[in-house]
Amino acid sequence: MKRLVIFWALAGAPLYGRAKSPGPELLPPNGFLQMWDRAAPARVFAASDLYGFIDGGAELYLEFGFEQLAVQRYGQRTRNAGGTGTQGQVQLEIYRMTDPTAATGIYLANCGKETPDPSFRERHTISSFQLRFKRDRYYVIANNLDGDKKCVPQMLEFGKYVASRLPPDAPVEALKMLPRANLVKDSLRLIRGPYALQAIYTLGEGDVLQLGRKVTAVAGSYETPGGRYTLILVDYPNAAAAGVAFDYLRRNLDSYLKVVDKSEKALVFRDYDGKYGRMSYAGARLSISVHLPQKPSIN
Amino acid sequence: MNTTGHKSMVPSGTLSRRDFVRDAGACTLAGSALILGVACFERGQQPAGRLETNIADFMKAPRTRHSLPGPLPGRVVKIKDPGSLVEDRFDAAVISRMVEKGICGLTGRDQAESFKLFFDRNDVVGIKVNPTGAPVISTRLELVDAVAAWLCRNGIPAQNIVIWDRFDYELTDAGFTRARFQGMQVEGLQTMDQKGNRWRDANGVHISAGNFDRNVYYRVKGLDGKSVREYPDDDSYLNQNVFNDDCSYFGKLITRRLTKIINLGTYKNTGSGIAMATKNMGYGSICNTARLHDPLFFTVCTEVLAAPVIRDKLVLNITDGIRGQYDGGPYGNAQFIYPNHSLYFATDPFALDMVCHREMADKRKEVGRPMNEHPRYTEYLRYAESLGLGIADTKKIEFERIEA
Repeated sequence: MKRLVIFWALAGAPLYGRAKSPGPELLPPNGFLQMWDRAAPARVFAASDLYGFIDGGAELYLEFGFEQLAVQRYGQRTRNAGGTGTQGQVQLEIYRMTDPTAATGIYLANCGKETPDPSFRERHTISSFQLRFKRDRYYVIANNLDGDKKCVPQMLEFGKYVASRLPPDAPVEALKMLPRANLVKDSLRLIRGPYALQAIYTLGEGDVLQLGRKVTAVAGSYETPGGRYTLILVDYPNAAAAGVAFDYLRRNLDSYLKVVDKSEKALVFRDYDGKYGRMSYAGARLSISVHLPQKPSIN
Repeated sequence: MNTTGHKSMVPSGTLSRRDFVRDAGACTLAGSALILGVACFERGQQPAGRLETNIADFMKAPRTRHSLPGPLPGRVVKIKDPGSLVEDRFDAAVISRMVEKGICGLTGRDQAESFKLFFDRNDVVGIKVNPTGAPVISTRLELVDAVAAWLCRNGIPAQNIVIWDRFDYELTDAGFTRARFQGMQVEGLQTMDQKGNRWRDANGVHISAGNFDRNVYYRVKGLDGKSVREYPDDDSYLNQNVFNDDCSYFGKLITRRLTKIINLGTYKNTGSGIAMATKNMGYGSICNTARLHDPLFFTVCTEVLAAPVIRDKLVLNITDGIRGQYDGGPYGNAQFIYPNHSLYFATDPFALDMVCHREMADKRKEVGRPMNEHPRYTEYLRYAESLGLGIADTKKIEFERIEA
């Protein structure tokens, strides 16, 4: 469960690069845009607390690499004659991940089909309820709790305020691994363990790709005349590590996947849906294709 | 799935060839698993290789006339009305009509006769809501209003209706307060202190410990909450889970006070599975659940419902699919919200979840989201069928769609 309350930074968290520990400077002050006040004191969650508050949902954050969550709720000043009470509510959530790849991974898992606003330059998506964006190792959500469309421009202003105080964005090398031709828009995913992998495909129990929350895999779907398939690529630190991972995967392949062909460095299987998969490694790279409509060659 | 229709219905859905192949494949592979030595199960047995639980004790208890899957095993009715949600505004009157139509459509009887099928006037009825994900995807207050009104019209005093969930603060956050539901009771089984330092009483015991029945529990032998990954210490675990032994105790509200339960889950995913009817009950009725997530996530959704205190009291399930969320769950993620305009009715929560799982999978594919359709995500439903708790075989499910 995730309580709609406010969390704020704990002292002493490890720093990353040029990034600052989340602090008051990231949060818009009282009177923001002349109409938003903090509704309660802000609080924070460290990694050790997140699981307790996002019951059943924290695993993915922790798998990618999570450090702190800061949440602040804002209430909108009323314009009534008495000038008391509040109307709209915006809740700001600032996730400080361990590195830009982790922030991008959690963003891609949650952004869905991106519907950006041209006035906001960070990679983001916005709807009447939420603005989500990532920058450097930060993943930020601004929730428009009432869904009032009139608050959407202000949600953007909250986002711009926070973004302007974050370190510059950094490139994510893993995203460059996939070939671009025929790649389905919005299908890109990053993977650092079983929770991210399970959204795409079940290859086996646990960390069957031997990523250890350190190695980053990338996945994307491709349109072909025969149908859509998904490609997963992993670059291990070296060829030996890739070989070990391939061997582990082969020995622990999910019981619903039936091996139909194999060689020293490749394997073809048929899945529960009657589709095919192929996994192989060359050098330090493990390559896995799934949802293939036709049986692929082992070579 | 078998589907039925009448003049007001949209064309019925059918079990697609793809569904058939997948289900047949799952059955075959489950059979093959006997040879391969992987998880599988025979009728009434736990899946092999799983941790030892007290499911056998649950199964020994004699069934009653209200035991799951209830009087309508495998029957699921979906009521769809586009007027229920227009431009992000919920229409209480439309939702109320949908509830009336859904209950009658499910039972084939009028409202009064439907009431008698499940209740008598002396019942204390628990309405299990799902507040997680508010305000985006929690059980709608309007739906609770309509169900409570039906109960009251048929003679249940308002004070004998208890709106409940596991955590008190989530109920409040989602709008389930005594002020909003006047005359009724609103209760969380437990509290949890956000600051982490005000959850013990003077004796050092969790202030909610007394809310749980130490004699009625779901036990997983040897699986306690003392070494669950991600919890730094016992205190943080206990704060959220109340106990950390190898038992998950049922709330006394359920074991001692409620005589019937209506389950109002929401229409959303959890990873590649769903968090709808059976998860709402499975994880919402007990404490000490975090230890269960990793090894037994969906199994809990079957085995906890097999406990007589749930099995014999849970008489009606209505999944709130006015809004749907096809990804990002179980928490509210507006990016994946869509107007689904539907309520789903069943006495059999396993058939209900199978229908909704299929729909959710179709929705994800329709919008181009990745969808892992591995049979493991519905295995718990087939397990429930093997225990006689419900129907999961899509060929046996009778799915009726009614469109306003």
